[in-house]
Amino acid sequence: MNEESRKALRQMSFTEKIRILERLRDRSLMIASFGLRRDAKNQNASKPPAKSEQE
Amino acid sequence: MQRDGVIAKYAIGGAVGAAFYLEPASTVDIDIFVMLPSPTGSQLLSLAKIYDYLQARGYKTKAEYVVIGGWPVQFLPASTQVELEALNYAVEADAEGVKTWIMTAEHLVAICLQTGRAKDYARIVQFFEQKAVDAERFHELLERHGLEDKWESFERRYFL
Repeated sequence: MNEESRKALRQMSFTEKIRILERLRDRSLMIASFGLRRDAKNQNASKPPAKSEQE
Repeated sequence: MQRDGVIAKYAIGGAVGAAFYLEPASTVDIDIFVMLPSPTGSQLLSLAKIYDYLQARGYKTKAEYVVIGGWPVQFLPASTQVELEALNYAVEADAEGVKTWIMTAEHLVAICLQTGRAKDYARIVQFFEQKAVDAERFHELLERHGLEDKWESFERRYFL
C-alpha cells in the first residue's frame, strides 16, 4: 500500500473506519472458523472408523 | 448506562480507540474502560451491574464480553492512574451518528507502554510512524506518571 492510500485511510472519519474494522473483524472470524472446521474434519479423518462402520 | 448510574465515565481504548488516530487494524473486540460509580465497592460487583444492565436489555454475553452491534465488548474498570486520567481527557467522537468517547493518542500510547505485550509495543511504533502523537503532551504525561524510564528503555529498544 502506498503512502497516499495509507494517509487516506488515516484521514477517514471514525464512522468509515468502524465499517472497515467490521469487515476486518468478520474476515478474521471467518478465517478462524474455517480453521476450526478444517481441524475438526482432519481429526475425524484420522480417527479409526467406528465399529458399526467396520461391520 | 451513564444516565442510569451504572458507569460514571467511559472511553474506548485498545485497537478500536487507536483506529480513531491510525489506519484501522484488524481486531475482534472493543475495549471500553469505565470509571465505576462506587469506588469503595468491589469492582467485580460493579462490573456485574454493567453485565446485568445490558443483559436485561437483551444483549447477549459471551465469556467476558457483551455482544453489542456484532462486536464483543469488554468492559475494563480503569484501575491505574493513567487509565483514570485517560477517561478525564477523553475526546468526543461520532461513531455512526452516536456520540462516544475515545482516549487521547498520548494516553493510548502510555497504556500500551504500561501493558507491555508485543502487540502493544507494535501499536506504539505505529502511533509514532504515523505521527499521531503530540510529543510535548506525551512527555508531560510520562513525567506525571513516572513512566520516563520505561519510555527510555522502549526507545532504546525500538527507535535506535
